[in-house]
Amino acid sequence: MHSIFSRINNVSALLSSCTMALLAAIALSTLVFNADPKGDLAIASIKVYPGTTRRYAKTKQDLAFVNFNITADLTPLFHWNTKQLFLYLEAEYINAQGVKNDVVIWDRIVRRKEDANINVAGKNKYNFRELSASFKNVPPANYSLKYNVMPYVGYLTYGEIAKTVEPVAFPRSQPRV
Amino acid sequence: MFTEEIKAFRRLGFRHVLLQALNFATVIASGLMIWKGLGIITNSESPIVVVLSGSMEPAFYRGDLLFLTNPVSEQYKTGDITVYKIPGADIPIVHRVLETHDVPPKGRKAKEAGEPASQLMLTKGDNNYVDDLELYQGLQWLERKHIVGKVRGFLPYVGYVTIAMNDFPQLKYALLGVLGLLALLQRE
Repeated sequence: MHSIFSRINNVSALLSSCTMALLAAIALSTLVFNADPKGDLAIASIKVYPGTTRRYAKTKQDLAFVNFNITADLTPLFHWNTKQLFLYLEAEYINAQGVKNDVVIWDRIVRRKEDANINVAGKNKYNFRELSASFKNVPPANYSLKYNVMPYVGYLTYGEIAKTVEPVAFPRSQPRV
Repeated sequence: MFTEEIKAFRRLGFRHVLLQALNFATVIASGLMIWKGLGIITNSESPIVVVLSGSMEPAFYRGDLLFLTNPVSEQYKTGDITVYKIPGADIPIVHRVLETHDVPPKGRKAKEAGEPASQLMLTKGDNNYVDDLELYQGLQWLERKHIVGKVRGFLPYVGYVTIAMNDFPQLKYALLGVLGLLALLQRE
């Protein structure tokens, strides 16, 4: 009955159920932290130039170049179960064909609380192109900065930090100088 | 070494062996039921997956466990982490959605029937420099039908057992053999 084998079995069963209970408690405890910080987002300029992309290397198409300023204090999002934040800036617009487009143009991974005070003047990291290959007659787009909190264990949560007050229009395509 | 076990086996008799086999079968059957039940609740063909590559580091490492859902009523959004499987590729991939384009249904009939927009998606791994176009095996966009689910929860390290078993098949057989023997020989 009290063989060494049954002892090992009992101890490891107890250990694993304690670990599981602890992990569940940590995952549930994050429900208490419901900070939803806000920040500022301003689109400094948008320009549209013709160009080519890796995807459609041979077709002439419009590419949008967006410059933006972001300021946000995201330190409240860091608690004991925050592994990292994933920040992303996206453009949302509905084009003339009725297609609803969400395109991420910039992102950043924040891993430490010390880096969570965001102050960025940047431009898009990823190609910003329209499905129809042209931004002509495309209605103005809204831009929003969003975050995803990635935990050590448990649920992933999402939220919005800032959104442009008014939609920003795409300018006419201009030849590259 | 095994003489004592064999003696015990003889003493317990055939009925006992059958009972133990039945117990073993119950454990396996209930495991399968839980797995398939979870699949129905989450509407995903595999609601729990193990991360196999490092393309989402530092968020997900090899061997981390992800819990997925795939709600029918919800469209996918940018920033969601999806698990997708391209036909022809045998390994599901865990990457984040970078672009969505909701194309409205064509034709009046489809519009009146209230069909949802068909979604074209582009994904990218957080740790990769470029998007996943090369991984789509000739497809231009990822579509809803390729997606297994959206990552909702995260548990580190636990899945490493399955990776170890895939890398060293001997381990798998040894583990199965030991478990089977124990199930047969254990005395209540």
